Amino acid sequence: METKNKHLLLWSSLGVVVVLLAAALEENVLRQWRRLQAEVAASDGPFSTGIRQIVGTTTATIDRCTTCHVGMDPAERLTGLHRLARPHPPVPHDLGEFGCTVCHGGQGRATESADAHGDVPFWSEPMIPLRFVEAGCGTCHTQVGVPTLERLAQGQAVLERSDCLSCHRLDGRGGTIRPAGVGGMEGPDLSVIGRRGFAPEWYEVHRQRARENKDPVWRDCIPDLSPDERQLLEEYLQTSVGTPSVVAGQALFHSLGCRGCHKVSGVGGTEGPDLTSIGLRDPARLDFTNVPGPHTLASWLSAHTRDPARIVPGSKMPKFFLSDEQVESLTYYLLSLRRDPSNKRAEPIDRTLVERMQRREFATDGETLFAAFCSSCHGPQGEGRRFPGQPPAPAVGNPDFLAVADNAFLLATIRDGRPGRRMPSFSDAEVGLHPEEINSVVEYLRRRSGVAPPQPLHSERRWVLADPTRGQALFERWCAGCHGKDGSGPEAPALNHPNLLKTASDDFLVETIRRGRRGTNMEGFALPSLNHPVLPDQEIEAIVAYIRTWETAK
Amino acid sequence: MKDDHTTVLARLAPEPVPRRDFLGLSALGAFVGALFLAFLGIIRLPRVVVSASPSRKFRVKLPESLQPGEPFVPPGRNVVLFRDSEGVYAISLVCTHLGCIVKPSPNGFECPCHGSRFAPDGHVIGGPAPKPLPWLAVSLEGNEVWVDGNVTVQPGTKARG
Amino acid sequence: MEPRQAPLKELWSHLREAPRRFKESAFRSGPPVTDRARSEFVFNNLFLHIHPVRVHRWSLRWRTTWGLGVAVTAAFLLTLITGVLLMLYYKPYPDVAYQSIKDIHYVVPTGRFIRNIHRWAANLMVVTVFLHMARVFYTGAYRYPREFNWLVGLGLLVLTLGLSFTGYLLPWDQLAYWAITIGANIAQSPRELTDALGITPYFDPGGWMKTLLLGGPEVGDESLIRFYVLHVAVLPLALVILMGVHFWRIRKDGGLARPEDADALLGPPRDLYPVFTDVPTKTYHLAAIVRGRSPAVNRGPENTIPSMPHLFYAECAVFMLTVFLTVLAAIFWNAPLKEIANPAVPENPAKAPWYFLGVQELVSHSAFMGGAGIPLIVIIGLGLIPFLDRETEGTGRWFGGPGGQRLVLVSAVFGLLSVIAIEAFAIQFGWLRQWFPDIPQLIITFVNPGTLLVVVYAIFSLGIVHRYRSARAGAVALFTCFLCGFVVLTIIGVHFRGPNWGFYWSPADWPKH
Repeated sequence: METKNKHLLLWSSLGVVVVLLAAALEENVLRQWRRLQAEVAASDGPFSTGIRQIVGTTTATIDRCTTCHVGMDPAERLTGLHRLARPHPPVPHDLGEFGCTVCHGGQGRATESADAHGDVPFWSEPMIPLRFVEAGCGTCHTQVGVPTLERLAQGQAVLERSDCLSCHRLDGRGGTIRPAGVGGMEGPDLSVIGRRGFAPEWYEVHRQRARENKDPVWRDCIPDLSPDERQLLEEYLQTSVGTPSVVAGQALFHSLGCRGCHKVSGVGGTEGPDLTSIGLRDPARLDFTNVPGPHTLASWLSAHTRDPARIVPGSKMPKFFLSDEQVESLTYYLLSLRRDPSNKRAEPIDRTLVERMQRREFATDGETLFAAFCSSCHGPQGEGRRFPGQPPAPAVGNPDFLAVADNAFLLATIRDGRPGRRMPSFSDAEVGLHPEEINSVVEYLRRRSGVAPPQPLHSERRWVLADPTRGQALFERWCAGCHGKDGSGPEAPALNHPNLLKTASDDFLVETIRRGRRGTNMEGFALPSLNHPVLPDQEIEAIVAYIRTWETAK
Repeated sequence: MKDDHTTVLARLAPEPVPRRDFLGLSALGAFVGALFLAFLGIIRLPRVVVSASPSRKFRVKLPESLQPGEPFVPPGRNVVLFRDSEGVYAISLVCTHLGCIVKPSPNGFECPCHGSRFAPDGHVIGGPAPKPLPWLAVSLEGNEVWVDGNVTVQPGTKARG
Repeated sequence: MEPRQAPLKELWSHLREAPRRFKESAFRSGPPVTDRARSEFVFNNLFLHIHPVRVHRWSLRWRTTWGLGVAVTAAFLLTLITGVLLMLYYKPYPDVAYQSIKDIHYVVPTGRFIRNIHRWAANLMVVTVFLHMARVFYTGAYRYPREFNWLVGLGLLVLTLGLSFTGYLLPWDQLAYWAITIGANIAQSPRELTDALGITPYFDPGGWMKTLLLGGPEVGDESLIRFYVLHVAVLPLALVILMGVHFWRIRKDGGLARPEDADALLGPPRDLYPVFTDVPTKTYHLAAIVRGRSPAVNRGPENTIPSMPHLFYAECAVFMLTVFLTVLAAIFWNAPLKEIANPAVPENPAKAPWYFLGVQELVSHSAFMGGAGIPLIVIIGLGLIPFLDRETEGTGRWFGGPGGQRLVLVSAVFGLLSVIAIEAFAIQFGWLRQWFPDIPQLIITFVNPGTLLVVVYAIFSLGIVHRYRSARAGAVALFTCFLCGFVVLTIIGVHFRGPNWGFYWSPADWPKH
């Protein structure tokens, strides 16, 4: 028994010795970063080995990425032969103050590559894939006043047409001619001009220089710009903040009407989830059942944008049949929505403008507002839209509609919405648009269609006096098939909605029934048709009288 | 009685364990060895590998209007930079006596702790400081000024652009 | 009288002799190769003299104790040393705590290894503490004169669980935060009873305990610093003090419990020579022999062997075995660390540390009974054992006493079947509130699977008492049932409970999202 104890002591102790030696070996020889640093030192020359870290002063982070990515250490100047010896591409921010993870994501405190890249369980912010690298700017920044993709393209076209890039650099292109002569001054880099700002009289200054300067380069430097062209150009330059891919994605976001259902930074509809921090979603909590490719947030967002109901069963979001480029562009933008509201990082001015000073991330002209908020349901031309399994959205751009609807009706409808139905209230109560923005939308609709507001045909808004009982029989014969027996649709707009009945004049109702709306299923019942007899005015008024009874019912 | 007493005493201290106990000795040896190795590992732990303070090699942006002889202290750093016709140079502001931070004064530098005084070029003109303020390595790369707090240079070394 | 040397020469020769004299002043007995020297080795040493100079051969048998007490101490020493090392880097403030653990894992030299040792040694300590308690129980080593030591051991059990629980919060990750939220709510469970009686506004021990523990209404900064202080200072100090009492009491109780006929069972010693053959009643203390009664009686010195080296070989062997198992686990498996604690995102399921999952399973049936009632009953029950079982048959032998091994087997089977049956019923069919939605909470508090299990076990044990006419038999039955119930409930809590505490056959079946 005594021998047993001695054996146990001997072999346990030897076992402990072996394990301790193995641990020492693993730590001092076999660590991945030691191996990698040795590789880099072999090809790029000696440097002090050891764990390196950047203590971000502005961001209060500790990032140890430079332990392996030695070339990116701001204090090192390596030749760059080894892939880990390459320096960081030039960026507007000082690496020593910002560190790495604030822009790239990942786990800065780790010293193993898989852990550091965040591709491990229990790290909710893995690195952003490199092809979406600009999305990292969204950790702190946002982009202000981004118009639709079409307007952005128009602004860019003005820039290209005006040959600004012969003197100015923009996102790595252009800027070779030096108007003052060889080696002289080049125009300022326009890549972040939106952030730095430019003088409002820049155009006049350029024209004056062109007039005064004998140099042919200056003389021809800037063409005549119409006020519209100038506005498009300035709008485009204001979005030039060093993240062209994010801006393009955001412009597409504003062209497809996504904000009609989704809030971003507090403005938008509530049918869908708030997307303000969608770029920070933890991939471990997502369902990747039907998502092809690696289990990353980027692939989930792409797959979902492409076909929402397939990825989230029971999703109300319709499938928009987007092209691959559009999906990629939207994914880029969504990944950039990664501001953590609880984070106390320094706040750049664009973020302050949006969050505290009521500036908008979208341009506030009527065209952009309509495209950003309305076009997803009502169609890019306001032609109305019908998604499978959902009630149709009316054709608000339809000239027949605009010919009978007055501006008060339009404003009230947009402002108050249709509670209980899919049209949200666009005022501060729900979506958060200002009255002047709603005005712009209405003006845009008028301008685009060329249809002026109707003149009232009667002095009172409520003038119909008819027999609702008769109207009920007529309604059930001709109207209930689409509008429902109780007027609630769903094949056609709900006629029994209190907001509709409150704001619609009798003129509106009567004229709509009489004239119909071209291009939609709403026939003009005072016009000849193969589907129905021409209804005399009394019968139409009876129908309206019946419709009005829903106002007081219940 | 005496006989009993010596017998008892003899019983108390009989001869030691006869044979050599290889197993026991090797077990003890392994035991001590394991504990020693563990001890070596334990004393490694308190060693500081990385320190959570900003790098001592840093970039500085000198103000355009900096006059010769006018001190510039980058915010948050214990270094002073000067620029004159011969170039840019940096002097550490850590007093060589006991480590307080000296203040630039019209005649050089003064330490508030024990009254050491230094000339504008860092050498000691009064007080208990034993050595002059060290000059730090400065390099100019393009239009960036880099100061390396880890490297001291001869007083009088100035970086020319 | 020898002539003295010249004073300077004397000084010089003293200086030269100083190292040897230093060694002799520190180590005053010679090398431990004679019995006397071996005795002095133990007796004259501050750290070692809590050991007896001579130890009974029965106590050194592996099958007597399986070295479990030493294993617990070894595990504790490991956590103590690694804990102090970790304290050099750990920072007890929310969020910073998590980052400091990450730094320990990635950057601190040997940090990952030492943190892992700490975690696995702590787990091992909890396991061996339960095993040790079972050993002491089944060998009847709680009986007179060892009743008080049994109670001290219960105190050590509670302190061990407390140390493990307080340490669990310190990483400040999702696992820690929500586990302690659960634990603190379990501490608040007396509220279920005071609410049902309507006396909570006047008497709220549950709320008081939870607030005292957390330093506030929920887990936050205050909780972390309180748990930290408890974990590194208060509880270790209490543990060490109680350990001191525990070991001291072993000496005063006459060493480890052994059967009355231990000497006969052992047979004559093989390679050791007897001491004091002509004076068998002589004890072996190297102190003055006085006439009188001491707590150490009924022991002849015959079957004792010197502690140095035999007891120390045994202790060191168990110690190194514990160390080996721990470092082996530490080099392969990392201590868990999930995402940083996020009060806005509850873990689902939120589980207490594994040794409390049996309790959490009971709590899922009734907060009061599971969190306060049954644990109290168990502790009081365990504490009463030495006072209810005053028999002497079978002390020192495994499964000694009426019934023997067979009783243990029967009780184990009964215990397992009861707990499985009651749990299966509750899982499959639900409980009273499912059929009587308006049933008063008070009834649920007293009629739920947990209380039912306790009642079933109690009736079974009392039946055994009656059948075998022995309190010991009843105690064996009850203890065995309790062990089986504890193990099964813990397994259910660990493996079979998923989101919303629903029953799932495997974690693969848990619903996503």
